[in-house]
Amino acid sequence: MQVYKLCLKIIKKNIPVMLIYIFIYLSVSIVVTLSSSRQNNTGNDFTDTKANIAFISGEETPLIEGLRKELGRQANFINLPDKKEAQQDALFFREVVYILRIPEGFTQKFMAGEEVHLEKNSVPDSAKAAYIDLAVDQYLNTARFFLSTMGDVTQESLVKYLDDVLSQEADVKLMPAPAKTDVYGLVFSYNYMAYSLSSILVLGMAAIMAAFNNRDLRNRVSCSPVRETAANLQIFLASLTFAGVAWLTQIAFCFFFDIENVLTMNTVYLLLNSLVFTVCGTAMGFLIGSVVKGNEAISAVTNVVVLGSCFICGVFVPAQLLGETTLRIASFTPTYWFVKANNQAAQLTQFDLSSVRLVLSDTAVIVCFALAFFALSLVIRKVRRFS
Amino acid sequence: MFVHIFANRLRCLLRDRETMFWTFMFPLALALFFYMSLSNVGKGEAFQEIDVAVVNDSWYQENQFFRTALEEASRGDDRLFNLTLATGEEARKLLDDGKIKGYIIAGDPPQLIVNESGIYQSIIKSFLDNYTQTFRAVEKVLENDPRIYQEVFDSLGNRKNYVKEAPAAGGKPDNLVYYFYTLIAMACMYGSFFGMREATDIQADITPLAARINIAPVHKLKAFLSSTCAALLIHLSEMMILLAFIRYVLNIDFGPRAGYVLLTTVIGSITGVFFGAFVSAVVKKSEGIKVGILIGVTMIGSCLAGMMYIDMKYIILSKNLPFLYWTNPVNLLSDAFYCLYYFDNLNRYALNIGALSCITVLFCALTYLFIRRRKYASL
Amino acid sequence: MVVKVSNLVKRYGDLIALDHLSFSIKEGEIFGLLGPNGSGKTTAINCILALLKYDKGEIEVFGEPMTPESYHIKQDIGIVMQNVAVYNELTVYENIDYFCGLYIKDKALKKKYVEEAIEFVDLGEYRNFRPKKLSGGLLRRLNIACGIAHKPKLIILDEPTVAVDPQSRNRILEGIKELNSNGATVIYTSHYMEEVEQICSRIMIIDKGKAIATGTKEELKAMISLGEKITVESYDVSEQQLARLRELPNIVSVEYNEPLIVIKSSKGKNNLENVLEFIKKENIQFGKIYSELPTLNDVFLEITGKELRD
Repeated sequence: MQVYKLCLKIIKKNIPVMLIYIFIYLSVSIVVTLSSSRQNNTGNDFTDTKANIAFISGEETPLIEGLRKELGRQANFINLPDKKEAQQDALFFREVVYILRIPEGFTQKFMAGEEVHLEKNSVPDSAKAAYIDLAVDQYLNTARFFLSTMGDVTQESLVKYLDDVLSQEADVKLMPAPAKTDVYGLVFSYNYMAYSLSSILVLGMAAIMAAFNNRDLRNRVSCSPVRETAANLQIFLASLTFAGVAWLTQIAFCFFFDIENVLTMNTVYLLLNSLVFTVCGTAMGFLIGSVVKGNEAISAVTNVVVLGSCFICGVFVPAQLLGETTLRIASFTPTYWFVKANNQAAQLTQFDLSSVRLVLSDTAVIVCFALAFFALSLVIRKVRRFS
Repeated sequence: MFVHIFANRLRCLLRDRETMFWTFMFPLALALFFYMSLSNVGKGEAFQEIDVAVVNDSWYQENQFFRTALEEASRGDDRLFNLTLATGEEARKLLDDGKIKGYIIAGDPPQLIVNESGIYQSIIKSFLDNYTQTFRAVEKVLENDPRIYQEVFDSLGNRKNYVKEAPAAGGKPDNLVYYFYTLIAMACMYGSFFGMREATDIQADITPLAARINIAPVHKLKAFLSSTCAALLIHLSEMMILLAFIRYVLNIDFGPRAGYVLLTTVIGSITGVFFGAFVSAVVKKSEGIKVGILIGVTMIGSCLAGMMYIDMKYIILSKNLPFLYWTNPVNLLSDAFYCLYYFDNLNRYALNIGALSCITVLFCALTYLFIRRRKYASL
Repeated sequence: MVVKVSNLVKRYGDLIALDHLSFSIKEGEIFGLLGPNGSGKTTAINCILALLKYDKGEIEVFGEPMTPESYHIKQDIGIVMQNVAVYNELTVYENIDYFCGLYIKDKALKKKYVEEAIEFVDLGEYRNFRPKKLSGGLLRRLNIACGIAHKPKLIILDEPTVAVDPQSRNRILEGIKELNSNGATVIYTSHYMEEVEQICSRIMIIDKGKAIATGTKEELKAMISLGEKITVESYDVSEQQLARLRELPNIVSVEYNEPLIVIKSSKGKNNLENVLEFIKKENIQFGKIYSELPTLNDVFLEITGKELRD
């Protein structure tokens, strides 16, 4: 079992580099887990969405106070420093989506029926800006309506009218959603495996392959009384051991981040899917190790291939936010099908054949990729040997 | 002599495939990946007409005001809704299938049926609220004085938009561009790979090649500067291609001040190259450790500048963590690009560039102090 | 004097690398620095080149003190370092051109010199190869070409033949002689006594940073008591005969390790003749008999009490 041991030694030497990927996986997973649990507000009652806005007023009058109170239903008020630049920063980095500025003397002119307007800085064409626009316009239009139709009214009584009228609300019924459409946070720890686990697998496999591609070493091994088939079998076993250990480690982390769902049927499918993906990642490492020579080149190819597929397949950014062209390109990588299968597995509520088939068909595509990678690398190795 | 060293160095570096990959191909690939995965994210924020159904019952048919209001809001280019008329069952099915955000049952007050809370559902609700509120207002006015019927309707038809977008003082708050700025900043810092080679190849106690150069009848600093110029030229050319790729192929906006954008890139490139030279001159460890330090510092810097998570940048900026802000070249560079894009004045840009220049000068000075040595205690 | 080193002392912490080393090299010499690994050869060279700081002593090259800024001196020095120092990204031709260009400004002259250097080390068919594709011996030859292309007056070769195949080694040694005959002064360090003996006109043997002997090889050999070593192959010799052998004139020692009798004698005439006569007289059956003059190894052995090679 000398060859087997040697392979494991090569893997051991690469563990520090692999730890980097584990570290990235853990830190990103922690951040995502924390932020997605914060946004979890799916109760039984409908709640108005609140947009973060800055309300900057050059004057304090009952009318403006009324507006502020009224907007409280649609907005969270964020206090920004009184510096133009800081306010612009806040808008750019989305601390607020809307900055409303009320010029001095607005109320007076408004009460006198003059042509006036408020100023805003907002994220252009955004839904939240439209939402706030709607609310501000409603308040001021209603006020103007009272002013123009009721003759002399004082500001105070105007605000009272407004308060009375604007408390009217439509009746909203929240139906139970048939399926969760946003499973990004739910299966994130599984999807993100596509980055960490495949990096580790490709790295390890490529390192083993690179070692045995070294002509001197290969010649030396073929001079020894170990039969080539036996040597290959040992390499295969070592790869299997390595992939198995990597998978188990990764799965342990997934369980940790998704502890409440571990005992569901969905997890069984997620596990199956990840196991198949592990085989595929190993095959990809085998392929890269067969094609690419030299450690530097391997790390370059690994980075581009793995990082690239994660970017375009919905690992880093939820798939529903990706463009159609991007997804079409992505469908030529196993990662796309892995993410797709994961998302579907997480949504399963029934486990009859027709529901499960959707997941299994995607998993089957990954198997095909694995076979293709494996076959391709065997062909390449055969061609290389005779050249 | 300058030309001789410069030209040969150029040849050397251009053939160093590993460095070329990390400083050139990798940022280009990353830019493309950013583009492919982020270009649609902004659209998630943008308003899209809301698919809504209304139950076409007798109440709806008979209530002309309500019908008009809804139809009005579903017409024209800046409409709120894409309206469908349906029976109650059909509407329910549309909602279940995810074809509409919600459906409306006319009435007093009107009813909205949705299956989740969200911004679009809230907008529909706001619209219905507004209808009810306006209706109530009209009632109130007419209660007070029934004679002014005509005036009321004139006034109602005269809805105004009270909020105007303030004149833009710079670029749009489109924060996706910022990711590309951090990427360029990171690529600038990757110039450190070149700087590291230059400083390594001139210190006789590190490589035999450097010892060999030290014996040649060439002034050491002159040799260093000649070859560093070659490194700078290559890195700058790479950066220009990256910049052109991001600007013209990926169509990322850099604001109107192209000259300053170029200046920033040049300074960034110099900072990067001398950062590498500095690390190589000061850290007396193996090349692997030096590369580790370069990548580590650049990645942590990029992370703090918001490349992986844009909020990170804003927290440092708004919570006033000046140390993390001013000592991080990746942040200073990204922020400089950001200022050029987003602000109409150059004040903060100038501060960024000033700080960056200080850091660069510091790197240069320390590099000089370490490599000017002519004789070594041991080789 | 081309190089004059006096009382050079270099310490690495507690270790004394060079201990009051003094020597001078005349124009036109091939000066050999011979010593085991770690004896201070390379340290001495690096001090001469003003790469290393030293604790005491003076170094003059071409009659002037050597400093890192002595560019006009460096101009006339060619150096072939122990570790191959070439750019992996440049081809054979480009490497030589680069190093030559550090010395020669005139382009036409540089081109001529580079071609001559390639000719000299016989790398013509490899001129467009990158160093990584060259074998160890070829790489060493490239290293030499880079060092000597600018036709320096003083050439320093620091163990240029380490890990080189015999064929390349002979080429290199012949080349060095050729350079010398063209007028260059050569400093050659090695721990191979055969090489030094083969090409050097004057040799300094150093050990533990101290010069233990300097002179031509004849002079060095004359310094020791050993004059001749006679080896006789025989299976049939008695202790009494060996004892009688020891009593012959000039004989220093006789050792018998079957089947070889090693007879060492001091300087003097007729040593071999005496031994042959003795063998005939005693009627000793013998296979081979041969006589050797002392080697530098014997010199080293006698002075330091240990073999030159560890």
